Amino acid sequence: MRRPQKSCPFCESRVRWIDYKDDRTLGRFITDQGKILPSRLSGSCARHQRQLSTAIKRARFLALIPYIRGHQA
Amino acid sequence: MPRTYEAVYIFDSTLEDAAISEKINRFHGLLGAKEQPEVAHWGRRQLAYSIGPKDNGYYVVSKFAAEPNALPEYERALKLDDGVIRYLITLHEHEVGAPPQSEEELAAATRRDDDDDDED
Repeated sequence: MRRPQKSCPFCESRVRWIDYKDDRTLGRFITDQGKILPSRLSGSCARHQRQLSTAIKRARFLALIPYIRGHQA
Repeated sequence: MPRTYEAVYIFDSTLEDAAISEKINRFHGLLGAKEQPEVAHWGRRQLAYSIGPKDNGYYVVSKFAAEPNALPEYERALKLDDGVIRYLITLHEHEVGAPPQSEEELAAATRRDDDDDDED
């Protein structure tokens, strides 16, 4: 039983390097809570998933995207 | 050998624009770079979460080439400055990403993947 192949959204749009400053794109790959979406759901290839996780972590540090969505300190 | 770095600074949004520009020039002066750094001002925007008491920040992105041994002094100046809420220095890695694929290569790669599927 193999799940159907999803195509990588970054390969499709010919992205060479995922930019950590592009919060709008990164926002599409986090859950409602702010977790990183697994490649199983996003369909990203391994190379882009690695880049994506680094980019999301950098964007979180720069307060471009939240660590936890809806969290009130 | 100089390497290309990219730095993002988040300044206190209550600072005057002139004061921010002056600080940036001072930081970049410590790098001893021959070429003028590329500076992009994003301006004031809301932080995704509050950092201490602050909810807003003034974002500045700069790209520069510098010798690695010039960085510690520059980073120390950033760390000590009260006007800087947060900063991030990264190697500008865009040059070492995956090589661009032409139309044919992409098609060939897709075909290979399809072949793999048939074997299982």
